[in-house]
Amino acid sequence: MKINVVKSVLDASDAMANVNRRRMDSVGLTCINILSAPGSGKTTLLQKSLPMLPAGVRTAVLVGDLQTTRDAERLEHSAAQVVQINTGNGCHLSPSQIEQGLNALDLAAIDYLFIENVGNMVCPAAFDLGEHRRVVLLSVPEGDDKVAKYPTLFQKADVILLTKIDLAELLEYNFDRVYDDLSRINSAAPVIRLSNRTGEGLNAWLNWLIAQRPAKRP
Amino acid sequence: MHEMSIAEGVLSAVLDAADGCGARRVDRVELIVGQMRLVVPEALVMAWQVISEGTIAAGAELAVTETPMEAQCRRCGRKFAPRIDNYLCPGCGQADVDILAGDDIILKSVICETDGGDAGESKEDLNADQRSLRENTDDAEKE
Repeated sequence: MKINVVKSVLDASDAMANVNRRRMDSVGLTCINILSAPGSGKTTLLQKSLPMLPAGVRTAVLVGDLQTTRDAERLEHSAAQVVQINTGNGCHLSPSQIEQGLNALDLAAIDYLFIENVGNMVCPAAFDLGEHRRVVLLSVPEGDDKVAKYPTLFQKADVILLTKIDLAELLEYNFDRVYDDLSRINSAAPVIRLSNRTGEGLNAWLNWLIAQRPAKRP
Repeated sequence: MHEMSIAEGVLSAVLDAADGCGARRVDRVELIVGQMRLVVPEALVMAWQVISEGTIAAGAELAVTETPMEAQCRRCGRKFAPRIDNYLCPGCGQADVDILAGDDIILKSVICETDGGDAGESKEDLNADQRSLRENTDDAEKE
């Protein structure tokens, strides 16, 4: 017999993401999901920029990696609360892992919760975790052709950070190529050029961040 | 390889549907996958074979169809069909869209056998393991 179903397979995942979002809304925290390839500077960005936020802004990080607690250790002096989520072989964080992460945090004591997703330009883009905003990093050494190669990651971004720009001259990086590709894929997201090493652009990133509160998804 | 987590969701939806009508075996599952979900159909089929093992859906064929995207421009309201690498609105030339279709994974139908002997379009005389084996062999021969 043939059963016609017409049901979204992602209902469970999306429902869990919505539960997470409502839970974070109820305590008034803003959740930022950070996505990029491995090694583009997600952890360093948080390490450098979170201590620069105005005094009294309370931050927490859920950091996802396949293995190790190294990133959580790197972040322990930058954010008040840090929880490492090891995904084992999982190539992305899932909404249920975020739920467990939320259980491990004192949510009432957080203004900004950052989710540092597993470094990967494909799988994390396909999963809503319940975040309010999505940040995508693209580092100069990865090449100026990656927006065109991984369009969906960039299409879903609310802001795009071009990192390690201090290497741009050395690597003959073509910013115009990046902007040209972005104009076809996502012309709404602001692009911020920054260098964690020199500090250039960190203020622009913080200003963007501060402008996102209070944030509720449309 | 997020296909494994998607396959888990598919299995759960398939078993719900099959249980709902007292099926004893699932023969075929039709799935519609939106392009934006970045699914590799071959990888999804492989994940499905692994994850359905030991359930009444073991060995069931997973037929994956990709659906094109539909978007609506946030600037001028025009609806159009973007490509995965091009979201430019033909009306106003901006790439600022809401995705209306192509960002979902829909279980369309489940073909299953019940104790009443209704076999749908299936090959009744083979049990699931044999059929799975035969399909795998067929695939290997094709390559």
